Amino acid sequence: MTEPDSSTWGVPPRWVLLIAVLSIVAAEVGGGAMGRFKIELTRWARDRMLAQPSVHGLVGVRDVDERILDEALVKFDAGLRLFHMHAEGMGLVIVATSMIAVTVIQHTAARRAIVTLLTVGGAGYPVGYLAWSALIPTYGVERSKTIAEWFVWVPFGTATIVALWCLAGFVAVRTIKSKS
Amino acid sequence: MTRGRAEPARICLRPPSVLAVLTVLVTTISPAAAHHVGSYVPRDNAVTTNFKQVKFSVQAQKYDVALRLFEAGPLRAEMRAHAATLPPDLEDGTRAALAAGDGREVERRLMIFFAALSRDLALEADRQIARPEASAEARVATGRKFLEAIWRYYNLVDFAVATRDNKTSVAVRLAFDEAEGYVKPANAGAAPADPAGLRKPLQRIADVLSTLIDSSSTPPSSSTPPRRNS
Repeated sequence: MTEPDSSTWGVPPRWVLLIAVLSIVAAEVGGGAMGRFKIELTRWARDRMLAQPSVHGLVGVRDVDERILDEALVKFDAGLRLFHMHAEGMGLVIVATSMIAVTVIQHTAARRAIVTLLTVGGAGYPVGYLAWSALIPTYGVERSKTIAEWFVWVPFGTATIVALWCLAGFVAVRTIKSKS
Repeated sequence: MTRGRAEPARICLRPPSVLAVLTVLVTTISPAAAHHVGSYVPRDNAVTTNFKQVKFSVQAQKYDVALRLFEAGPLRAEMRAHAATLPPDLEDGTRAALAAGDGREVERRLMIFFAALSRDLALEADRQIARPEASAEARVATGRKFLEAIWRYYNLVDFAVATRDNKTSVAVRLAFDEAEGYVKPANAGAAPADPAGLRKPLQRIADVLSTLIDSSSTPPSSSTPPRRNS
């Protein structure tokens, strides 16, 4: 990472760019696989759910159970779609925000910390959707959401939010300094 | 714009304007603040879809289309599957009414069919909720799911029920409202959901619908107007 110069945009470290690109690649591969193996994935999820009726609250009456299974399968599919969408978007967010951080933040340790939080948080957060989707057939919609929340969305999302607010603070300080 | 030689690891553009930087930050912070997981909109199942197809075809007086949809569709298959709990000849009578272009008779028979489906679900819900081995939460959750299924079917024919016997329609709605009150998630300070209390309105739904099925199973004579209790 080179020292910031106020006249040009800084380029983020290579490992940051690599992770951002990998996130986008994972999103594209995930999206493609979701379309290509839609039937197989749905069949697998449905079979797993039918094998654990108590987890999903199935009552053994088709008119009731079909609705429960349909909702779980819709959420299963939504999780995969949201992973595709967020991984794609967060890859770009990592590039954009780390570029701002590298350009704006003079303090080396603060810059490294914020870039790391942005990258780890941004790349980890979308994985929560993949985890949620993968856990639905085994743990049910709500329980798998809780697991994904506490193990992925909250830690990685918090890392990203904290880093973004810190970055906003640095931009504000820089603005105030430049005006005075 | 470049100013002299650029450093190898830097992009030679104008320095970031504060406005552009803040725009990027604000737009990225906002969606990151909440992880949405989508929403589920319940869909029609094969039976309700086929019912609507037949109903709209009858309303448009396209009886040949309605007959074709009924003969090949899951509505007829479901009638056969439930034949043991339905009035005799319901399926044949529906088919005959469609062939004869008798829309009112088709409506009456489909009303009986969905009332019977709703009644059977209410009876099954009552049976499952009565099981002592399940926890109160599980029984309430079961009750909630059954109520959704009952309403999905009954709602399709409520208008037909109300035009023939609006006391029955009101009685079913009241019982349904009461049952829903027992399965609502408890708010802070409110009494917890009560699975035992749910049984009475479910039994009432089943009784009222059984009476409706019995009283509607005989075709009214053409001179007799539909029973209105208002």
